[in-house]
Amino acid sequence: MSGIGTVNGEQFGRRLRLWLPGLIASVALAACSAPATTSAPPTAAAAAAAAAKPTSAAGANASPAVAGASATSTGFDGTLVFGAPISLTGSTAKEGGLTRDGYDLWRDTYNKAGGITVGGKHYKIETKYYDDASNAQQSATLAEKLIKEDKVNFLLGPYGTSSTLQVSTVAEKNKMPMIEGNGAAESIFSQGYKYTFGVLSPAQNYLRGVIDLALLMEPKPATIAVLSADDPFSVEVADAAKTYAEQKGLQVVYYQKYPNASTDLRAPLTETKAKSPDLFLNSGHLQESVAIMQQSKELGFSPKGMGFSVGPSIPDFESTLKSDSNFVLGGTQWTAALKYQGDDQFKTPAAYNDLYKQTFNYEPAYQSADATVSGVAFVKAIETAGSIEPDKVRDAIAKLNFMSFYGQIKFDERGINVTKPMAVEQWQNGKRVTVFPADVAEAKAMWPMTPWSAR
Amino acid sequence: MDFVQHIINGLLQGCILALVGLGFSLVWGILNIINLAHAAFIMLAAYLTYFLWSLVGIDPFVTLPVTMAVLFILGYGLQRYVINLVMGASILTTFLLTFGFESLLVNLALRLFSADTRQSRPSYANASLNLGELHLPYTQLGAVVVALLLTYLLYLFLDHTRIGSSIRAVGQDRVAARLMGIDIGRTYALTFGIGAALAAASGTLLSTTSGFAPNGFGTFNVLAFSVVVLGGLGSIPGALLGGLVFGLVYEFGGTYVLSQRDVVIFAILILVLVVRPTGLLGREGYR
Repeated sequence: MSGIGTVNGEQFGRRLRLWLPGLIASVALAACSAPATTSAPPTAAAAAAAAAKPTSAAGANASPAVAGASATSTGFDGTLVFGAPISLTGSTAKEGGLTRDGYDLWRDTYNKAGGITVGGKHYKIETKYYDDASNAQQSATLAEKLIKEDKVNFLLGPYGTSSTLQVSTVAEKNKMPMIEGNGAAESIFSQGYKYTFGVLSPAQNYLRGVIDLALLMEPKPATIAVLSADDPFSVEVADAAKTYAEQKGLQVVYYQKYPNASTDLRAPLTETKAKSPDLFLNSGHLQESVAIMQQSKELGFSPKGMGFSVGPSIPDFESTLKSDSNFVLGGTQWTAALKYQGDDQFKTPAAYNDLYKQTFNYEPAYQSADATVSGVAFVKAIETAGSIEPDKVRDAIAKLNFMSFYGQIKFDERGINVTKPMAVEQWQNGKRVTVFPADVAEAKAMWPMTPWSAR
Repeated sequence: MDFVQHIINGLLQGCILALVGLGFSLVWGILNIINLAHAAFIMLAAYLTYFLWSLVGIDPFVTLPVTMAVLFILGYGLQRYVINLVMGASILTTFLLTFGFESLLVNLALRLFSADTRQSRPSYANASLNLGELHLPYTQLGAVVVALLLTYLLYLFLDHTRIGSSIRAVGQDRVAARLMGIDIGRTYALTFGIGAALAAASGTLLSTTSGFAPNGFGTFNVLAFSVVVLGGLGSIPGALLGGLVFGLVYEFGGTYVLSQRDVVIFAILILVLVVRPTGLLGREGYR
């Protein structure tokens, strides 16, 4: 008879008093899911929070390749702080990480080249991120905190349409210019807001390229199925794809929406398979795209082509699915194969790709380039405005028109970039290859998909 | 044929859900702890399986006893040296404590393993046994065998062994059990350890059927909770039935009302609670 089971009430109470404060503290620390990722002095609590959250502040990047950037930053006349709530945990932690790395690369590259020059003064770029835990409301709260408490100079976008939509309202209320690269739904730009600008092509273009490409293929597809997540961005993409497919004479045999982030999609895939569509399109997110491929294989669902709005352009898609990623098409905002000659520090897509890979040890997804170019656009606008006054910078952003490594940056009156085209990528034997539009294609698209039973 | 395929999908997924709920049910039923770290245990086992497969090349099904043993030890230690200290407090205290463990483990995993998507992919991953028009994925079939076997073994253990009897005794009446000479603290730890080991089994199986990242596991707490409430708290056949019913409802919900599938499953959950507050096979006053 020994051990805790025989502890009497008094002993128990004593042990409890001994342990409980520590326990409660650890629980509270862990439960506090939106700690600041700032450069505050390392107190015990901050150190513990840092252990649980990836953090990043100017010059204090975890990656050794860019850590040296701050060494050249001694000769600056001032600092401009760019704040962003980003999803570093939660359902879009992966995409949020890509966004943060994109911002970091912009900051370090531009600081190395002398920062931002305004009226002969050199400003150092500093970034301040908070983790919004993939929660749009949280994102808005943190944006408010960045503006009111941290007094950041400008806002960069969070990851995802829902968060961007929320943050755009905060930016507008505070007359704080925001350039974002990871919220593409037109609902963000149809509010009549003046302070939010999106560098990326609008949602309706995401799957258009895949449809255009498929129509050029032999055997030509006649029927199409669209399966979409039910968040605003995915629905906008899917609706546009459906309408476009109908315009192009394709027959839509299946069109359904599933609750966002569902990863058991065997039921709708069984239904879709029964309709035997030639082309299958999904508008959703990385986790769902991976699940759809796995479950299509399980169910023997083999259309002629499969295309996704989000997923295939993220390296995880192939590293998880291996050869099962073959033949899969993905709409993409940007690829390293594009042939732009940018008027910025990164110059060409290929050079950006190399620098990114050298810095972070993995190839950039378009989400990273989206983020980087948001920063680049800010530098252009601030230097053109010759001022760091928010309103003057805002007006300069609205008038921007330049070629970047990411493509043409030019906003329409709503604040979205309608000039830049989208491309289509395909996984071919473990390589992500640009297959559309034809003038930048690295290889011909593989079509039709070999049935699972023959692979 | 589609209809049969839907039933197969639902039953196969239901068996795995039953296993997800089993350990949760045991811990809740015996210890009166709603273990919010359950999903984190599943996650740890999934990563352990993944690394043993990708770095050492061990087949996930062979890994099963290893992950179960590791998580048993973790669960045992956690209960014995931490949770036992607050067992006398209200249920909210253990609720908060296990929630803390969950957050801690998930964020540590995010830090150590990153948010990259992984999957244990032996050659048979996502491949299927094809019977004409019907497709039965090998990993899910294997998972069903394991789930049913573990459910049966747990039933035998609780009903036919001395330790099993003492666990049930503690669940029924703690004071009486202690008067009979049962070491309560050790029995609690043992039960929590078994719960964690069962979570580990489901984690190992899930790591082969789908891609995973640290953030995706939270839903398994909700699933386990639903399966247990549906089937009946503290009942082993209840967990199995709850899992199967959940699997089928989810599958057919996804077939006919895809966009409202979550509404359907939770409406049924509420209906069951109204008509049979103890769940389908639960016994009144088990706690």
